Amino acid sequence: MTVWVETDLCDACKLCIKACPYGAIELKGGSAYILERCTSCGACLEVCPKAAVLTDFKPRQIPDFSDRKGVWVFAEQRGGKLTRVSLELLGKAQELAGELGQEVSAVLLGHQISDLTATLVEYGADTVYCMDHEALKHYRSNAYTKLIEELVNQYQPNIFLLGATHIGRDLAPRVSRRIAVGLTADCTELSIDSKEGILLQIRPAFGGNVMATIANRYSRPQMATVRPGVMEMHKKPGKGNVIEYKAVLFENEIKTRVLKVVKEKKKGIDLSEANVIIAGGRGVGDANGFDILRELAEVMDGQVAGTRVTVEEGWIPPENQVGQTGRTVRPEIYIACGISGAVQHRAGMMNSRYIIAINTDSRAPIFQVADWGIVADLFDVVPEMTRQLKEAKEKTFGI
Amino acid sequence: MIRANAEELIRKSIARFVDREIIPRAQEIDNKKEFPIEILKQIAEMGVFGIRYPKEKGGAGGNTTLYCIICEELARGLMSVAAITAMQCLMGTNFLFHFGTDQMRQTYFYPAMRGEKFSCFCLTEPEAGSDLGAVSTSAKKTEDGYMVNGLKTWVTNGPIADFFTVLCQTNPAKKFRGLNFFFIPRDTPGVSVSQPFETLGTVTTKMSEVAFSNVHIPEDYRLGQEGQGLDNLMTILAEIRSMTAALAIGLQRAALADSIRYAQEREAFGRPIGKYQLIQAKVANMATQLEASRLMTYRATRMIDQGIPCMTEASMAKYFATEAACTAADECTRIFGAYGYSMEYNAQRYYRDSRFLLNGGGTHEILQTNIARWAGL
Amino acid sequence: MDIIVLVKQVPNTTDVKLDEKTGSLIREGLESILNPDDRHALEAAVQLKEATKGHVTVVSMGPPQAIEVLTEAIGMGVDQGILLSDTAFAGADTWATSSTLGKAIQQIGKFDLIICGRQAIDGDTAQIGPQVADYLHVPQVTYVAEIDNIDEKSVIVKRRLEDGYEMVESELPALLTVISEINKPRYPDVGKMIAACHEDASIKTWNAADIGVTVHEVGLAGSLTHVIKTYVPKFKRQGEIIEGDTKAVVRELIQKLGRSEGSTACKAVAAACRLEAS
Repeated sequence: MTVWVETDLCDACKLCIKACPYGAIELKGGSAYILERCTSCGACLEVCPKAAVLTDFKPRQIPDFSDRKGVWVFAEQRGGKLTRVSLELLGKAQELAGELGQEVSAVLLGHQISDLTATLVEYGADTVYCMDHEALKHYRSNAYTKLIEELVNQYQPNIFLLGATHIGRDLAPRVSRRIAVGLTADCTELSIDSKEGILLQIRPAFGGNVMATIANRYSRPQMATVRPGVMEMHKKPGKGNVIEYKAVLFENEIKTRVLKVVKEKKKGIDLSEANVIIAGGRGVGDANGFDILRELAEVMDGQVAGTRVTVEEGWIPPENQVGQTGRTVRPEIYIACGISGAVQHRAGMMNSRYIIAINTDSRAPIFQVADWGIVADLFDVVPEMTRQLKEAKEKTFGI
Repeated sequence: MIRANAEELIRKSIARFVDREIIPRAQEIDNKKEFPIEILKQIAEMGVFGIRYPKEKGGAGGNTTLYCIICEELARGLMSVAAITAMQCLMGTNFLFHFGTDQMRQTYFYPAMRGEKFSCFCLTEPEAGSDLGAVSTSAKKTEDGYMVNGLKTWVTNGPIADFFTVLCQTNPAKKFRGLNFFFIPRDTPGVSVSQPFETLGTVTTKMSEVAFSNVHIPEDYRLGQEGQGLDNLMTILAEIRSMTAALAIGLQRAALADSIRYAQEREAFGRPIGKYQLIQAKVANMATQLEASRLMTYRATRMIDQGIPCMTEASMAKYFATEAACTAADECTRIFGAYGYSMEYNAQRYYRDSRFLLNGGGTHEILQTNIARWAGL
Repeated sequence: MDIIVLVKQVPNTTDVKLDEKTGSLIREGLESILNPDDRHALEAAVQLKEATKGHVTVVSMGPPQAIEVLTEAIGMGVDQGILLSDTAFAGADTWATSSTLGKAIQQIGKFDLIICGRQAIDGDTAQIGPQVADYLHVPQVTYVAEIDNIDEKSVIVKRRLEDGYEMVESELPALLTVISEINKPRYPDVGKMIAACHEDASIKTWNAADIGVTVHEVGLAGSLTHVIKTYVPKFKRQGEIIEGDTKAVVRELIQKLGRSEGSTACKAVAAACRLEAS
């Protein structure tokens, strides 16, 4: 199976280069040239206005799935509490189901969990499939997979979404393999393609440097896990049918046992992996000043860092130093508090996705690299931000 | 059959070690001026010290090219770590490996490969450096062995070494033919080691004087045939010079990489300084000299690996690469401006460490003389 | 104890550079490395091997240059390597990849434990482990932070959760995916790596025919999901100064963050704000 370019036909319009999801086409000698990393996906064939891109690859027949109906959401619960992402997914599922003219269902498994069905309905479930069994007290891959397989085979849904939590990411691939469908991980956006009516799954790839749109044309349900925190939840009740599904499970087919579950406070993670960094500079004043930064970091699920001065003064440990002589970081949000922004510091954080600067000196160079600057005292702004975010968060659910 | 390229793979693996374990701590180690024992233990665990020796005899089954690749990568991180490693792999253990008895290997060589014992090489004397004919440390034949007397200086690893390979004169009348290497454990009565010297660069590589006063050693401790000392030295001299050239390449790479990064980040008159042609010229020269150093050095190592004599090629490589390293370190401090003068940045360390390379493996004055002789003068 | 480790060679995504003019990804010169989580999987396997006198086989699917990661694995103490390499395997999604790996493992035969890294940095899907486990009908435990106890019949591990951990016992054979917390991987031994570059090294290469799969089951043709478009999210600094009293300034900032694209953290902020508003 290969793809090649008929150079006589090619007018170097570069449309194929833009369309190639793998960066496998470049211009060479006045015409498009297919590089070795081509996977023969065929994206270039569709866009070429001159039909100069050819292949010996026969297009695959896309099966007819018009009888598949329903957008399903895995209602993940732990210890009898629904995870927040489950409700976020219901919000998205309503939107998708609306476009397709289909219904939203929640799949709830556990032990003594029937009181959760009301919440699921409240946030949009038209139907809740509820499976209650003693063996489902703790999440276990084999038990959940078996029951979901049965349910999917019986009701034949069109779309099935799960939260990309440690449980969702354990369960989804196992289920997808079991029911022989494709799966897209960790999506940050979902939409329905208006022409094909399929689910478009958008997710970051290549360490977040690239966004990829993925389609699941050859199997149903179209399965995806979705990153917690990216979808909106709506209090928009669904029809509210509750179907108790009788779970038949034997301990010896599960093969794993949960011996104990322990809650633990999160340990600090590596700065280079942090999504949010709250950094302090000389303006923080002393070691105690970092406390208010830590509080904000906690509500934003981030890490605290500092400039060289703050490390030299002993306000924070050396492994938390950002800058040329410290660490280079690229979080999604970098909040520079009381940092003037010398070139040595900027070198370590310039590639952050969004930079916010808080400094009393409006001429501080940090403002030149910031997306948003606030010329004010960090001791006013940071606690206020913590307060507002905390307040908002408290109104919502756990994980 | 698909197989990986050993040179690429070893380079990548050591580079990863250097990036993660050495570079983040290089300044701190250098500031403390302590022997970097923890890092050397890690290097030993990777089996690096045996890189030149055959696998079946306790080595890693590599060759001179691989040895130099490792030295180059380590030197990119911290010159002193590279220098100690280079010593342990080659000068410190080579004659023990080839001429020592099984028992000596068991007690000293294998532990040295595991990083449990450290070695060193005693050549230079206060009155004899490049001029080996003037070596005055004597080894007098006794009934059951030798008695060694004399003073060695600029002994790299001297203060921490567990055993010494010492060049001695057994018969001054024979001059070069009277030179022999001797194996002397540190705990032999009569051996004394001075305080470490204060040095400009490679401050964590400890150097000192080692004095031998009526040191009795058995006959077995003479490494090699009687009178073959100079010939034995010649068997590794080209390798020593190539290794020194590799260390110089590592330093050039470090200086060049820091210079480029700084030239991209630092702005003057509204533009990164790397956009100015005078800075570009410096970087272009550094890059060109680095490329030439690589070609010369690895040509020599490949000749050594093929058994082709290459003293001149190795001498040229050492001379050229070291001069290029001195220039690169100098230019790096200039590109950094006042920060190049600050002890906070690496630039000053490259500058100090570059001077270390001038002497080991032959001074440039001696190398130039030899090269000129080869050229026909 | 027979242990199989699945590893992948990946581009070093932390080094990714974008073309200043076109904004597209520069793929040339991107270093290929052993996937970081897989290094922890190898270390865990080698530690088990040392403790139980076991035997470790490392398997990787990839182009011929992926031989490097197998050689590195042998440097860490793995006994043998198998490279699954065939142009037919190219462009595979996790479905096709898990079929290929599953088939290869069946070909290897008996095993007590399969260890994988949690996820690969080029795709971050974390799907291969569980999919291979299901293919082979063995139980799985993901996000393993510690192997507490192991004998011939079962293993007890600490499984990391977002808000703590659980202790899980699994029957053997089983598949574990490990996270970096589990150990500090050793650096490969240079001598072992050199030996593994020789012809007589215990590394085999298998193609599609060797593992008995047809080209329709693997690679792009055997995949169920397809990348139909990629783009590089563009960004330019806004350089905006927000003014006003503290309360209002902070509210405006949070709203701006919430409206910003391409960031999970921003969306998390947004989700919080919307709730406040409702």
